[in-house]
Amino acid sequence: MEDVLRGFQLLMEVQNLALIFGGVLIGVLVGALPGLSSPMAIALLMPFTISLDPVASISMMAALYCAGTFGGSITAILINAPGAPPAVATALDGYMMAKNGEPGRALGLAAICSVLGGIFAIIIFLFATPLLAEIALKFGPVEYFGLTLFALSMLAAMSGKSSIRNLIAGAMGVLVSTIGVHLATGVERYEFGVPELTEGIKFVPVLIGLFAMSELLNQSKTLNAAVERMSAKALKLPTIAELKELKGTILRSSGLGTFIGILPAEGATVAAMMGYNEAKRFSKTPEKFGTGCAEGIAGPEAANNAAAGGAMVPTLALGIPGSGTTALILAALVMHGFRPGPYLISETPHLVYAIFGAMLFANFAFLGIGLVGAKFFSYVTFIPKRFLWPSVFIFSLIGSYAYSSAIFDVWVMLISGIIGYFALRNGFSPAPFVMGLILGKMVEETFTQSMVIYESNFFNFFESGVFIFFIILTCISLTTPFWGTIRKKLAAKKVE
Amino acid sequence: MSDQKKIHDFAPRTLGAGFVHKRDLVLAIILVAFGAFMYYEASKFPEAPAILGDTLNADVFPKMLITIMFLLVAIIPFEFKLTPEKVAKIDKDRDDKTLTITWLTILLLLTIVSFAEFLGAVVTMVITCLALPLLWGERNYIAVIIYSILFPGFVYLLFNKLLGLYFNPGILEAFK
Repeated sequence: MEDVLRGFQLLMEVQNLALIFGGVLIGVLVGALPGLSSPMAIALLMPFTISLDPVASISMMAALYCAGTFGGSITAILINAPGAPPAVATALDGYMMAKNGEPGRALGLAAICSVLGGIFAIIIFLFATPLLAEIALKFGPVEYFGLTLFALSMLAAMSGKSSIRNLIAGAMGVLVSTIGVHLATGVERYEFGVPELTEGIKFVPVLIGLFAMSELLNQSKTLNAAVERMSAKALKLPTIAELKELKGTILRSSGLGTFIGILPAEGATVAAMMGYNEAKRFSKTPEKFGTGCAEGIAGPEAANNAAAGGAMVPTLALGIPGSGTTALILAALVMHGFRPGPYLISETPHLVYAIFGAMLFANFAFLGIGLVGAKFFSYVTFIPKRFLWPSVFIFSLIGSYAYSSAIFDVWVMLISGIIGYFALRNGFSPAPFVMGLILGKMVEETFTQSMVIYESNFFNFFESGVFIFFIILTCISLTTPFWGTIRKKLAAKKVE
Repeated sequence: MSDQKKIHDFAPRTLGAGFVHKRDLVLAIILVAFGAFMYYEASKFPEAPAILGDTLNADVFPKMLITIMFLLVAIIPFEFKLTPEKVAKIDKDRDDKTLTITWLTILLLLTIVSFAEFLGAVVTMVITCLALPLLWGERNYIAVIIYSILFPGFVYLLFNKLLGLYFNPGILEAFK
């Protein structure tokens, strides 16, 4: 209880509250702007937070994450251009409701359902994080190795164009993490005579390059895309009766979203799509979906915001990112000198509760911002790309340089961006690479320690029941994406 | 025509492939070449000193990882048979040829970064704000000029004056 109070006390400082509110504003803004995203904003912000209070910095990023998920819905509803991938499902009915002359109602529904989903997940987060951390404290290196393998295997099921490519991107990320001095032997690996590589590749410039630069190059192809905007004069909150009607959808989606968020690598986009599908499946009027029905907004909105809270659970309790964005928050924790994983809650519990408080605050703050500023945020999409993206490039330049005042990092950022752009064209998403990059050190460390413990015999790892459990989960997650295809092929054979 | 029939037709026609997907084959070759290079480099890592006992050599983990990567990469040219819809989406992105403007943007960014240290932070920002919108077809010159003065000014005030971030003066040092 003392730690909870200490965490909240930290948040109550004016400077910290201002930072968190700033995070919410930036989150809604980047969420609303198609092309800009919460991971990109966090990557760009990261180097500038070095000199700030670490707890406030991490809390600001957590608030930004929550708000960014909601921000995407504003443009999804008003201009049918989801500002962020999790809002794609919201656009299906949100935009239709706006087109039917009720944009204010659609925005109000999205805001309230997001808040409810978010609060649901935060409550689970508050109880699940210490519990999970307590279990993880009992893990030895081999169990942790099993867990990281499972987390990496979840990349196969992660939203993206191809499961195989997600896994390759993840493996590539792990390989890049091996650059630099091998801690166990002191051997320099892949430094190619470049002194800067001895310390390894720094996260921040790579993250900025992959998320901001590759998107800049992508945007250069669509400079003249036109958008049609609905005018929303006022945001209309749903009535109590309407909420009562939607309570089943909201609860189901919140639970589903939180669960999906907790799964390593899965994030808000998958949660939103599943929230929409489940809302439709349980609906008494599924035929109304796609025509502007309230359940079609409540389902994905409650799910995607709940997933944001859920994704923080494995990130903080296990040091395993629950989504692409939390992978960046994990990198920020490392940058600020924290030790992500079960020790985080035993060593710095106030940080975990401060994050919890910041996310709770963010949920109410974006409701207020949504009520007051939805109209304004729909206008930000009219900022010409020809001016918006050069500004992003400048922030990327400064952000990557500021990290260690080295032009080498700027080159790393730019090259990562160019590689990221061509990789994206070939179906490789940046998020799995980042997950691999961040988990890489942990995978290698736990593998090396396990090999020492089990006398260099991998098969001895199976003496641990927990390891076997994770290996079974790994096998399931690796094969899941192909079940649908196999089922279809079998059905086709039956028909023939 | 049933959906299933469409899927059977789709592979050779849309993907230009019978047994293997040609574009993905090229991609796989590039990845294998990269992996082979990294594997070769790993094999040059020195062994761990005997004093460290059972500790794994520095090359074991990267080599293991590259082997797994090879196995995964080997699936890529045949992925269109496993998940045809997903590969079709990737092909759609690839069909959209990288435009001249994207190549020019890459060239401009590389040039800007090459001269960034010499020019210094402020001049680099001004040049970026002038060059990038013009390259992207902005013809409202007054807006471009205002933007290239105001935005770097705002960034300078915020990060240098307010947050105390060091900005390399570059060529502006001569005017001090």
